[in-house]
Amino acid sequence: MRLPTLRLPHSLRNRLLVASALLLPLIMLLAWWALLQSYHTSLEASVRERMQLQVYLLLGAAEVNASGVALPPVLTEPRYGQQGSGLYAALHQSDGKLVWRSPSSALLADIIKPPPVDMPTPGQPMFDHIADHQVYRIRFPVIWETLEQEYQLMFTVLESDLPTRQAVAAYRSQLTFWLLAVTMLAWLIQWLIMSWGLRPLSTLASDLQQLEAGERKQLAGNYPTEVQAITDNLNHLLTSELQQRERYRNTLGDLAHSLKTPLAVIRGAGEEGLSAAQYQHTIDEQVLRMNQIVQYQLSRAVKTSNKTPLNAGIALRPLFERIMGALQKVYRDKAVETELIIEPLLSYAADERDLMELLGNLLENAFKYGHSQVRVSAENHAQWLQIEIADDGAGVSPEQRQRILQRGERADTSVQGQGIGLAVAVDIISSYGGGLNVADAPEGGALFQLSLPLTRSG
Amino acid sequence: MKILVVEDDADLRRQLTNALTGRGYTVEEAADGEEARYLGLEFPYDLAIVDLGLPKLSGVEVIRQWRTHDIPFPVLILTARGDWQDKVEGLEAGADDYLVKPFHMEELAARLNALLRRAAGHASPVIEIGPIVLDTSARTVHRNGVMIKLTSYEYRTFEYLALNAGKTISKTELTEHLYHQDYDRDSNVLEVFVRRLRGKLDPDGSLSPITTVRGLGYRIEPPAGS
Repeated sequence: MRLPTLRLPHSLRNRLLVASALLLPLIMLLAWWALLQSYHTSLEASVRERMQLQVYLLLGAAEVNASGVALPPVLTEPRYGQQGSGLYAALHQSDGKLVWRSPSSALLADIIKPPPVDMPTPGQPMFDHIADHQVYRIRFPVIWETLEQEYQLMFTVLESDLPTRQAVAAYRSQLTFWLLAVTMLAWLIQWLIMSWGLRPLSTLASDLQQLEAGERKQLAGNYPTEVQAITDNLNHLLTSELQQRERYRNTLGDLAHSLKTPLAVIRGAGEEGLSAAQYQHTIDEQVLRMNQIVQYQLSRAVKTSNKTPLNAGIALRPLFERIMGALQKVYRDKAVETELIIEPLLSYAADERDLMELLGNLLENAFKYGHSQVRVSAENHAQWLQIEIADDGAGVSPEQRQRILQRGERADTSVQGQGIGLAVAVDIISSYGGGLNVADAPEGGALFQLSLPLTRSG
Repeated sequence: MKILVVEDDADLRRQLTNALTGRGYTVEEAADGEEARYLGLEFPYDLAIVDLGLPKLSGVEVIRQWRTHDIPFPVLILTARGDWQDKVEGLEAGADDYLVKPFHMEELAARLNALLRRAAGHASPVIEIGPIVLDTSARTVHRNGVMIKLTSYEYRTFEYLALNAGKTISKTELTEHLYHQDYDRDSNVLEVFVRRLRGKLDPDGSLSPITTVRGLGYRIEPPAGS
């Protein structure tokens, strides 16, 4: 048999409402009970005070005559004279003998008990509630001294608890009504607050739907702070996604166009009636050219164009160490002596792939063309990260320098045989808004000085 | 020299095998990462060429697992993307060199040669054993400046022994490194090769460059001073 599964509401608002629907009555019930208790206690306190007063009045009315302590037949409090009025009094002696009883208590003889055998401490009123007979009782032991004699007496006053019970009942129904009303109101207000507070989320949902339907390209920028952070990030993502797509499209277009030329050459060569050797040479040449084009466009497509990378920064020293470790392996036969002058904590905010591509290409040149020495240094200087890569090779001639530094030069138009590594490096540097300078190294070879801005706009 | 070629593209694999066989190497092939991992762990190759983009198990992972099991042969990686992340990862995993596709077979051959030499502990492509000069990059053997014509198998036998000069190489090891797995190892072809090789290298019997260590195998004495 399958047990019915408890389905939790999917809506955020309904969840919160269900939670408060469970919590609110609990709190209200507790409040109801506490208020009722304290009201009852305060009522009883005032009853006690009133009855104490009655005891004092009786004390004041009592007088001593020949037979002992007595009370006048008519008291100022009319309720003592009226049967069943709800206020009753009696006076006992310490031996249990009844001295006096108010006329009102005619029918209550069995409730009015004589004092216990051991008289309690005089002057200490004793208050209690006799639930069985629905009365409050106060007993007040006194010692009455006259010149001749000392009387130990016990005053007892009883009062019906009916008014108190009625007051509590009335209070309870009022309280219940108001607390219920407050609960309902609180619930309603909460529902309204939640509807209002969570509205940005439903707006976001519909915005996203429109986005998906292609009706808009960005999320409208007017949300509460908490949601704005999300939408800003989404917009950021959308923008970079869009740029990426754009770049892929451009790359693809560039790629297709630039491949057409070598293809045309090959096709032409086929129709030219060349010798086999010449034909093979042409094919070789064009394959090389096409390969360069593909490599160049590929690395351009991979390269990010994020002006503000999401990462905090790439630690440079480990990155250099990784690349140089790899190159040491490839150029093991050369036994290149390397020198790395970088603060261990120096980092740069960029895409790791970009940095690896850039430094990999420049370092490989140093390892390839240097004889036995490669020196790398990097440091922050003013608003720039400055990196120097020097080797002790043959160096770079002024014409070559010029060619390397021509930005935007397409690899497919570059001189045959020249690697695309430098073109890619220059491309990456300029996309970060940096600069590259080629000079003579003190070691005797080429010195590549590149500077990358520490803060980038946009 | 036995080379393992790991490449999932059948055409390129065939081209590689043909080119390498034509240059006198013994070649075995693997088309995916799993197979490559198994072969590399099971058989003693002299070198492996590993494409990075492989089905089942990536090239980097294959190399990493070989190296974890202390498989020592040099590894040359082939990468199509050619970005530095790939290269550095591959080299860090234990590869020794890389080549970006497409490449010329000459370039590949030169890299292989360098790696094999390096693995045998020779920095120079030229190994001198007395008056006999072996040029591993030109694949030629001279004696006192006179070229000695060797067949492909003879050359490979001599090269293997020369690269491992100072070590006694058992017939089994020699067979394993020179021939395919399915080659009939019981034949005494190897002995015939060695006898003919001796005859060509040392026709008058004055040098005896290859010594037979009874019950153990063959040996070339290391050149003096190395």
